[in-house]
Amino acid sequence: MLTEKYPSEIQAIFAKYPVKRSAVMPLLYLAQREEGYITKENMQEIANLLDLDVTEVAGIVGFYTMFHDEKAGKYRMQVCTDLPCALRGADAFLEALCDNLGIRVGETTPDGLITLEEVKCLGGCHRAPLFQIQEGDMVAFHENMTVEKTMELVEALRKSVNSSPRAATA
Amino acid sequence: MAKLINLKINGKPVSVPEGTMVVDAAKKAGIDIPVFCYHPKMEPVAMCRQCLVEIGRPVIDRATGQPVLEENGQPKLQFGPKLETSCSTPVSEGMVVITDSEKARAGQREILELLLTSHPLDCPVCDKGGECPLQNLTMKFGPKESRFLYDEKHHAEKHFPLGDLIFLDRERCIQCARCVRFQSDIAGEPVLGFSQRGRHTEIVTYSDPGFDSVFSGNTTDICPVGALTTADFRFGARPWELKSSASICSQCPVGCNVTFNVRREVKAGGGYVIKRAMPRQNEQVNEIWMCDKGRFAGYQYTEADSRLKLDSPELDQALSQAAVKLAESASQAVFLAGGRLSNEDFYTLKQFATRLGAKAYLYTRHGGGEYTTRYGLAPGSNLGNLGKGDTVLVVASDLYHEAPLWYLRLKAAAKRGATLIVANARATKLDEFATFVIRYSYGDEVETVKSLSSKEKVGEAIKNTHHLVIFYGADGLGLTGTTALAQACADLFTSLPVSQTAPKANNGLIGVWSTPNQQGALEMGFAPCADLAAELKDKTVYILAADPAGDDPTLAEALKGAKAVIAQDILETETTRLANIVLPAAAYTEREGTFTSGERRVQRFYPAVPARPGTKADFALIAELAKRCGIDLEGRSALLVMNQIVANEPAFSGITYAKLAEVTEQWPIIGRSDLFYGGTGYENKQGLGVTLSLTPGVSPQGRDKQATLLSPSPAAKEMRGEGLRPKEDELLAVPITKLYDNGTTVAPAKLLAAHIARFDGVFVNPATAKKYGLENGSQARVSLNGVTYSASVLLDESISTGVVLIPRSFGIPLAEPAFVLLTALEPAQEA
Ligand code: SF4
Ligand code: SF4
Ligand code: FES
Ligand code: FES
Repeated sequence: MLTEKYPSEIQAIFAKYPVKRSAVMPLLYLAQREEGYITKENMQEIANLLDLDVTEVAGIVGFYTMFHDEKAGKYRMQVCTDLPCALRGADAFLEALCDNLGIRVGETTPDGLITLEEVKCLGGCHRAPLFQIQEGDMVAFHENMTVEKTMELVEALRKSVNSSPRAATA
Repeated sequence: MAKLINLKINGKPVSVPEGTMVVDAAKKAGIDIPVFCYHPKMEPVAMCRQCLVEIGRPVIDRATGQPVLEENGQPKLQFGPKLETSCSTPVSEGMVVITDSEKARAGQREILELLLTSHPLDCPVCDKGGECPLQNLTMKFGPKESRFLYDEKHHAEKHFPLGDLIFLDRERCIQCARCVRFQSDIAGEPVLGFSQRGRHTEIVTYSDPGFDSVFSGNTTDICPVGALTTADFRFGARPWELKSSASICSQCPVGCNVTFNVRREVKAGGGYVIKRAMPRQNEQVNEIWMCDKGRFAGYQYTEADSRLKLDSPELDQALSQAAVKLAESASQAVFLAGGRLSNEDFYTLKQFATRLGAKAYLYTRHGGGEYTTRYGLAPGSNLGNLGKGDTVLVVASDLYHEAPLWYLRLKAAAKRGATLIVANARATKLDEFATFVIRYSYGDEVETVKSLSSKEKVGEAIKNTHHLVIFYGADGLGLTGTTALAQACADLFTSLPVSQTAPKANNGLIGVWSTPNQQGALEMGFAPCADLAAELKDKTVYILAADPAGDDPTLAEALKGAKAVIAQDILETETTRLANIVLPAAAYTEREGTFTSGERRVQRFYPAVPARPGTKADFALIAELAKRCGIDLEGRSALLVMNQIVANEPAFSGITYAKLAEVTEQWPIIGRSDLFYGGTGYENKQGLGVTLSLTPGVSPQGRDKQATLLSPSPAAKEMRGEGLRPKEDELLAVPITKLYDNGTTVAPAKLLAAHIARFDGVFVNPATAKKYGLENGSQARVSLNGVTYSASVLLDESISTGVVLIPRSFGIPLAEPAFVLLTALEPAQEA
């Protein structure tokens, strides 16, 4: 239950919005924080909190590409392959990345660290190849990437997860 | 009246009220602009871009505020650089709209071409084929060929069950959001939504059970493609094979106008079969909607395996035997008729009773009807006109379950600004849209109504209203309680300023009956019997369209103690099983007649299929019986009976079958050639019906005199308003009504089985359940009036802890509120 886990955060969010239903986005971020995706139970709870129907909440989760309703790896690596990026070699980059990670787009590395996704324009076209890494409610951009630099990053992430106590996600 | 705006569409001068959208203005002028997302019953969203037109507006001189003129003296026009969506552009003075220029046509054509790139084009196997807006508009406005690659077509899931009534074909969906908007804006149940975006956009539902709405069928009517189809009709027939037959829904007192589509089938030996029920437009009753009960249970019971029939010598014999019994008993005969009968049947029965000297009762536990005949709605009423300055009170009724279309109409009235007061002992769906919600304890109904005028805001709303409409139901009430409640409501009218009590349109008391024609019976003076069990003893009982034995074991016992029982019905029931003589009646889908709705509107229904061999219309059976008793009654046709009703029943004076069949133009325009606009619901060509007149100045006694002959009204007795009060450890059982009940006319609807099962049990508050060691779904012993039943426990947080709600028709008879004992049934005992 979100209300049990984050009572004060929810209070603070509510205080910001005169119209209750407007609080749906921050509440969804909150729900996604820990597991990296939003469960149906959480959607139902948010719907109840905001007097919405669960289908309306689910529609918002579905519309925004950074909300997820399925479990994935700890980090979602989202590579842009839209036209401008494709012109700067994003397709080839993604293919090589797949080979190096040993997974296809949409799949997760066996250790549960990385899920590889293909997305539309991220607004950094001139610095392609690029991707963003999403973890819970956090996002980081990585621009002008090469496969080597990316694999180094993956290694670093793997190390940090293994050394941190709350690395149980995988 | 809104200001009129003058504009020209394709050169044609048009005047329409301010605020009208260009697309509607064109429609009114007989000019079709293709639309998909726009629907005249909903706010425009301009999502599909199909309705593109060229629009020019007069150039206004900023300095003078006057239109700039061309050399020839005509106002100078400024056309936008781009085409505009006519569905979301309101008309303005001097506007010039061109819908058929090459530029406009190209825009419309290209949108269609684009839509078709993602469309499977499986018209040959699509249920919508033949009545499909996408098909029709493509033929009229679309490109002949596509420039896109066939192999790159978008593919998505087919045959996806959104619930058990509606199927979705995701690749046929053109994302117009008509279904989504209908559910959220009109039905008030936003259980459909879009997920994902772009080409991946898809319709989803997260409700449990899926597509959890009692209006779901309507989305299939307004879906402009074959993406949404009903479970009963999909792959059942092609639209062009169907004939249509006008009828009235028989499932509740709203009286929705419907069309039954029929065709001849080999399966039926070449005979006619009803394939589906569709709404038929009556803007004063159901607009263009109907509920799922009407759609999926409306006619299905008339085709149940348990239909009664006799071959003609058998019927002849049965009639003769029955006649002998009735003639013998004469004044010792009791007639008992349910509100499923038509006006013609009730009238014939009344004549028969009078001439025989028998007593005739209306079989119902919902009393107080005599007040609705005096304070009911007057001609000219239309709930669709209620709005700002009007007040509607709903008391002791869960309209969403008892009369879904009234729920829809009142929700809309509240949105238009009417003050909606909902007073109930428990939460109901209408609360969400109410201006004031009043919560009382079961038993306090009368007190609550009495105290309304003295409440500050609510009292103001009632006293200062232009129109007051009161709906009273039987939630938690039996005959005594409902009668007292009706009286209290009637008192509210008499205590108001004169202007509100004189008969006038949109003012009055409406009973939320459980049958389609209780009102008709009431208008002819029928009334329920206060102590039926006692009344039946040693009598010859003639029961029509009612199942007292199935409803209540006490009545079954009483019937066993009767001298003889003659049961006339369309289906086998407990009552027909214990009857000495059974007379098989034709179903209302097989004959002609009229029902009087709760709003006192008399409406005609027509035969959709021929009567089953070995059955006859109720009035004809009654007349046959009478004839054999030496009483000559009209039984040749429903029309001839109506002629007599009109002559002899003051309330019906002035009505004729021809008048009932009259139609006037309705907005929005719907119909076969306008499928793309209003949906596949049917236009009304067979009559809008007529509201009965109210005779002003007729004293209550005056009206009653006419009724005395049939039976004294229980209202005549002194009645106490307050009901039973549970003490600390006691629980009060009250009867309630759920939409999908288990009654004679609903149980045969196979598609609704799971929905009906959801209400099979007794409802208690979770805290109550806990106290008795029960949880959701567990079995409990329910001891009531000296009998113990076992039932599933269903939880409902919205009810108070002291009550147990017993849905009617699920096997626990409860005529009046009573104390109840609830105990957990050990799992061991269950096995
Ligand atoms: S299912 Fe039909 S009504 Fe709903 S969005 Fe798709 S095309 Fe429109
Ligand atoms: S609202 Fe009543 S009359 Fe209308 S379709 Fe439903 S059950 Fe039939
Ligand atoms: S196209 Fe890839 S970031 Fe814009
Ligand atoms: S945009 Fe006007 S009908 Fe869809």
